[in-house]
Amino acid sequence: MVTTTRPSEKTTHKVIGTRPIRPDGVDKVTGRAIYGADVTLPGLLIGKVLRSPFAHARIRNIDTGAAERLPGVRAVITAADLPDPDKGMADVGEASATYRDLSHNVMARDKALYQGHAVAAVAAESASIAEQALALITVDYEPLPPVLDLVEAMKDDAPLLHEDLRTNELGTLSDKPSNIAAHARFLKGDPAAGFAEADVIVERTYTTTMVHQGYIEPHASTAYWNADGKITIWTTTQAPFAIRDNVAVLLNVPVSRVKVIPTEIGGGFGGKLPPYVEPLAAVLSRKSGAPVKMTMSRTEELQASGPTSGSRTHVKIGAKRDGTIVAVEASLAYEAGAFPGSSVRFGSLCMFAPYDIPNMQLDSYDVVVNKPKVAAYRAPGSPAAMFASESALDELAERLGMDPIELRLKNSAKVGTRMANNIPFQHPVGNVKVLEAIRESDHWRSPLPESTETRKIGRGLAMGFWPNAPLKSSCFATVNPDGSVTLVEGNPDIGGTRASLAMQLAETLGIPYEKVIPQVADTETVGYNDATGGSRTTFTGGIAVYELGQDIKQQLIERARILWQLNPEDAIVYEDGTIRGPKEGQQLSFDQLAAQLFKTGGPVVGRASVSPKHVGFAFGCHVVDLAVDIETGKVEILRYTAAQDVGKAVHPSYVEGQIQGGVAQGIGWALNEEYVYDEQGRLVNASFLDYRMPTSLDLPMIETILVEEPHPPHPFGVRGVGEVPIVPPLAAVANAISHALGHRFTDLPISPRRIIETLYP
Amino acid sequence: MRSVKYYAATSWGDAVATLAKYPLAKPLAGGSDLLGWIKDDLVGPKEPRWEILVDLRTIEGASGYRYSQGDGLRIGALTPLSTLETAKEIVENYPMLAKAFAAPASPNIRNVGTLGGNINQRPRCWYLRGPEFSCYKKGGDFCFAVTGMNQYHAILDGELCYIVHPSDTAPALLAFDAKAKIVGPRGEKTVPLSEYFIGPRVDVTRETILAHDELMTEIQVPAPQPGVKTAYFKATNRETYDFAIVNVASWLKIKDNLVEDSRIYLSGVAPTPYRATIVEQTIKGKRIDEALARQAADQQMVRARPMSDNAYKVDIAKALIRRALLEAN
Ligand SMILES: Cc1cc2nc3c(=O)[nH]c(=O)nc-3n(C[C@@H](O)[C@@H](O)[C@H](O)COP(=O)(O)OP(=O)(O)OC[C@H]3O[C@@H](n4cnc5c(N)ncnc54)[C@H](O)[C@@H]3O)c2cc1C
Ligand code: SF4
Repeated sequence: MVTTTRPSEKTTHKVIGTRPIRPDGVDKVTGRAIYGADVTLPGLLIGKVLRSPFAHARIRNIDTGAAERLPGVRAVITAADLPDPDKGMADVGEASATYRDLSHNVMARDKALYQGHAVAAVAAESASIAEQALALITVDYEPLPPVLDLVEAMKDDAPLLHEDLRTNELGTLSDKPSNIAAHARFLKGDPAAGFAEADVIVERTYTTTMVHQGYIEPHASTAYWNADGKITIWTTTQAPFAIRDNVAVLLNVPVSRVKVIPTEIGGGFGGKLPPYVEPLAAVLSRKSGAPVKMTMSRTEELQASGPTSGSRTHVKIGAKRDGTIVAVEASLAYEAGAFPGSSVRFGSLCMFAPYDIPNMQLDSYDVVVNKPKVAAYRAPGSPAAMFASESALDELAERLGMDPIELRLKNSAKVGTRMANNIPFQHPVGNVKVLEAIRESDHWRSPLPESTETRKIGRGLAMGFWPNAPLKSSCFATVNPDGSVTLVEGNPDIGGTRASLAMQLAETLGIPYEKVIPQVADTETVGYNDATGGSRTTFTGGIAVYELGQDIKQQLIERARILWQLNPEDAIVYEDGTIRGPKEGQQLSFDQLAAQLFKTGGPVVGRASVSPKHVGFAFGCHVVDLAVDIETGKVEILRYTAAQDVGKAVHPSYVEGQIQGGVAQGIGWALNEEYVYDEQGRLVNASFLDYRMPTSLDLPMIETILVEEPHPPHPFGVRGVGEVPIVPPLAAVANAISHALGHRFTDLPISPRRIIETLYP
Repeated sequence: MRSVKYYAATSWGDAVATLAKYPLAKPLAGGSDLLGWIKDDLVGPKEPRWEILVDLRTIEGASGYRYSQGDGLRIGALTPLSTLETAKEIVENYPMLAKAFAAPASPNIRNVGTLGGNINQRPRCWYLRGPEFSCYKKGGDFCFAVTGMNQYHAILDGELCYIVHPSDTAPALLAFDAKAKIVGPRGEKTVPLSEYFIGPRVDVTRETILAHDELMTEIQVPAPQPGVKTAYFKATNRETYDFAIVNVASWLKIKDNLVEDSRIYLSGVAPTPYRATIVEQTIKGKRIDEALARQAADQQMVRARPMSDNAYKVDIAKALIRRALLEAN
């Protein structure tokens, strides 16, 4: 693999920047790790969900009698078995939802709002009995016209999903019901005046379709509602604490009654933030008195979990002949799915964030349609928005006859530049450095292969931005007599965070990485932790383990003081894992002191709880070379290089893995992935055969360039790395195809069909 | 998945007798297609809910292949595709067949998927594969593809039902003029593969001539002939784990640079493997060049009747035909 790491100035680290093996690695490669569906308990029942065949229908009546009478069936539930919570805002990560919507999404109440919407659930002694029972439930539906298209949904006379939904129009609630949940705007400067100065204007509309995160492990949860009222939930989730809190509200029980035990997790990408089967398994368990396990099939995942929005974005950019961008305007509409709360505002905030543009008006519309309620998906909102903005910039560069990197450098944001929301960049950012890194890369300097008559070659470039989220982390650790440190933290390990947190703690304490034994705890064992999401775990968790390390160091100093019988004012220093007293030769290694802790007052337990205010923004710049077979429409990715400002790569291999994974998903989004609904709102490609994610054979080895512009407020300069790499590939691939074929592609996916239909209309 | 009964057949006769006795019994080979079908519970007025799986893999001698210069190739229907794609005799004597055997799905599916199962697999229309759609093929009274999403449906020979034949191996075997050995209650027979597949015009609920209690036991491929040039192309959306948008297998007998005889078959375009007879007629006795290849492909596709979303397949089919002809040149 080609990897270029540009080390930051300070290279004094011993652990950070190395590539040790992950603590959970052996269990995962030998199949011993316990994932969601592996959980088993005595007397376990299997739960299954009955789902609406209609995209939009009123539920007149549900008859569960025959299902209840089937031998082996132990409980049947409908929405009537769930409380109807209020409209407070739930924590579902980087998307949003009210508790009521969350509850109605988990189980349809009066209306089924998308194909696959849960309407009833069964717990039985076997999966096959549960399936038979589902077939015995009769639901009396009144089918309603489905609303599937963004443009149609926004029309005044469109059928309504929610009769009580009123548009939040720039902050005030309008009085007419609508499918537009919100219209928001970022306004900076005077766009009209800006456009008046422009010599060149590029204006186009771009669309993307709904796509899924495609995590390999489907949702799987087991719940046991004990006779004493205690609810224990084993589940595959990015957010055990948010699941705990959401389930408590959805079931109307105090938080203290719910304990969530996160299992190992096979991917999430934002899709494992909201609850789906957890509350249902709990209610089935209460009704049956036995533990209930529920796993979703791939079809259920695609139909009824939380994919990301399809979108329609209109962009207008005005520039002077020398490439100075004077104004931008954009209008973004995102599908929220069945309930309000897409990431469209994030999208509008991100789309021009790498640039210093004096005049901007960015309007965003959150629109409900009869499709599954969207959830977060890796840099939620940004990929579709920056597909539009970075495609338009590429076209602008072409129109100006300017190099696309020079155009971006000319307009680069710097410290002090205000984003569309008028908040200035406060800390150094790597937007310029990633552009320069690509400009200097072997890839950018290498000539393209020659096109042939049927195989057209193109190169495309695009940037990506994502602000990342800091949020809250807490943890504790015990120093053991053998000099090891047991770290207890609360973030499910998706991308190697046991390793990255253990490394930062080892670095802080000046001890070897192998001496830190990290574990992910349940919600009753460790303090509150926000989700593994927002590219925050290595970032905020890193600050937490750093603080924790300071706490341990301070306590160790005090223990040494006891051993050496020193006074409080005597100077003791802790450096590189060694504790030194004021006298010549008075020193103890970490291990030596650890062995004597029980003589000096018992074990040392350190703790930390942090909620950092600052977060390091993430920028990436990607370049792709590809070949288009103009007779079959097939696109072959020839070479791909991603440069990203990672602040400080704690474990470079895992950082590269995050970048490569994001690029793979972005390429899938660009070329093949799409939700195909028929005119009645039925998802016809609800399988991994027909919903085509790229395979290893569809991708070359993705080259990475790790640029390290440290984020000063972080003790090690870390910034989040996990999300932004999915942002640039959409536009980079589209720009490359546009250059290869001499035609602008503005609608994703750019599948063989789209290419052939465009070339031979 | 609902529970089904499993029966391990001991011989072809045993398997046939079991099928004859139980109308709800179904032959099972690798199961890579059939088990998914049953899991998805695809039933309809004319598509029964299968209750007994009759495993053919337990029949001795049902798997394996033999090759001799005089006799050609004989392949047991239960032979996994992965065995065939790497078999030395096949790679050396029928390179185009080896390519076709390596084309379906992914290595793990080809490890369990058999040749018989590949030829006899059910079509992949996404309405057919959706439990909620009771279409003509399942005995219902509607074809959802006509008014619905038909980007992967037939551009040729559709009528009532617009499935495309899904098998990657069938067009290649047909191009070699292979035969199928069939066993049934009245004994064995051998039929040319070209008479094996039936379209919706004959019976919309079936894809082959096999009766409920008949089985394919063997595929016979004639010995390779001198002067034959072959080619195989599969166009897909993604590199692997994907059915063909179009695929083409060609067999051309060339003498003194002129086409003496040819067989050209396409999958993915029509309800049965589609023989490009117009191409064959156009090139007969001629020397293939770019212009002739283009003319032949264009004339063949004049026959195409694309639907709302699948006209692009006509262009791809033309391109693959041209490539197959020029590669064989
Ligand atoms: C994800 C996926 C991708 C795929 N991609 C492709 C592809 O790209 N190209 C392609 O060609 N195929 C593809 N397939 C189809 C794949 O199932 C076949 O290629 C495989 O060869 C079928 O063999 P099998 O032994 O598993 O068949 P089974 O599933 O056991 O049987 C299939 C059908 O044939 C019948 N049958 C089996 N053997 C006999 C026999 N001897 N006589 C009579 N009837 C018989 C069975 O009753 C059943 O109806 C794909 C399948 C999947 C699941
Ligand atoms: S094309 Fe055939 S299988 Fe598909 S919906 Fe129509 S009738 Fe059914």
